[in-house]
Amino acid sequence: MAYNRDRDRDGGDDKTRGSKNKFRRTYHRRKVCKFCADSSLVIDYKDIKNIRYFTTERGKITPCRISGNCAKHQRMLALAIKRARNIALLPYTTSIVN
Amino acid sequence: MRYYETLYIINPDLADDAYREVVAKMNALIEREKGVSIRVEEWGKRTLAYEVKKFDKGSYVLLQYCGESGIVEELKREMTLDDRVIKYQTIKLSDHADPEALKAAGEGNKGGPVEADKTTDEERRADDEVEDGIQ
Repeated sequence: MAYNRDRDRDGGDDKTRGSKNKFRRTYHRRKVCKFCADSSLVIDYKDIKNIRYFTTERGKITPCRISGNCAKHQRMLALAIKRARNIALLPYTTSIVN
Repeated sequence: MRYYETLYIINPDLADDAYREVVAKMNALIEREKGVSIRVEEWGKRTLAYEVKKFDKGSYVLLQYCGESGIVEELKREMTLDDRVIKYQTIKLSDHADPEALKAAGEGNKGGPVEADKTTDEERRADDEVEDGIQ
C-alpha cells in the first residue's frame, strides 16, 4: 500500500515537472451534495446508518472535498456525527473497539 | 413551549421491572414539570460504540417532549443522580412548538424521523427550488 502510494506520488511529480505532460488535465467528476440533490433526506443524529456513510473506517468525519457535500449540509452533518458520538451511537475512534 | 428530545441509556444488566421503573420515572418527571410528552421510544439493547462506565451495551430510550427550560434541568439532575442511567443527551428541536400539532403529526407518521423544526422546512423549500433550476 505504502509502496504504491509512493510510486503514485513520484509518478505525479514526474508528470507535473516533465515536459511531456506539461498541461496535464485533471479530471474532476463534479460532485453533487447528496442532501441538496434529494431534499427528502433529513440529517438526523439518530439515523446512524446514513450518517456512518460519511465517516471513515477510523470514525473520522469525511471532509466535504471528498464527500462532495455543500458547506451547509456538511455543517449539519458534522453536528449530527458529533451528537451521535456523544451518545455512543458512533465511535470517536475505532482503535479500541474492534 | 420548547420542543426537546432526550436520548438516554439505561444500564443493560437491570431486570425488566427495574428498567420499567426508570422509564416510568422519567415519563412521570415530564408530567410533574408541566411538560407534554410527545413520544417515548424504546430502542432496546444496543451495542455502544465505546465503553461507557464499563458497559459495552445499553438500553436506549428516546423521549420527545414539550416544555420550558426547567424541565431539561430537572431531567439532567435526575439522570445524573440515578446511577441506573449511564448516559444522556438532550437536544432542543425547536423554540416554539405547539404540542397538540406535534402529537397529531407524530401519530400520522409513526416510525419515521419526527423533526418538526422550522429550519428544515425552509431548507426543503430552498432545496426544491435548486432542483427545479437544474432540471
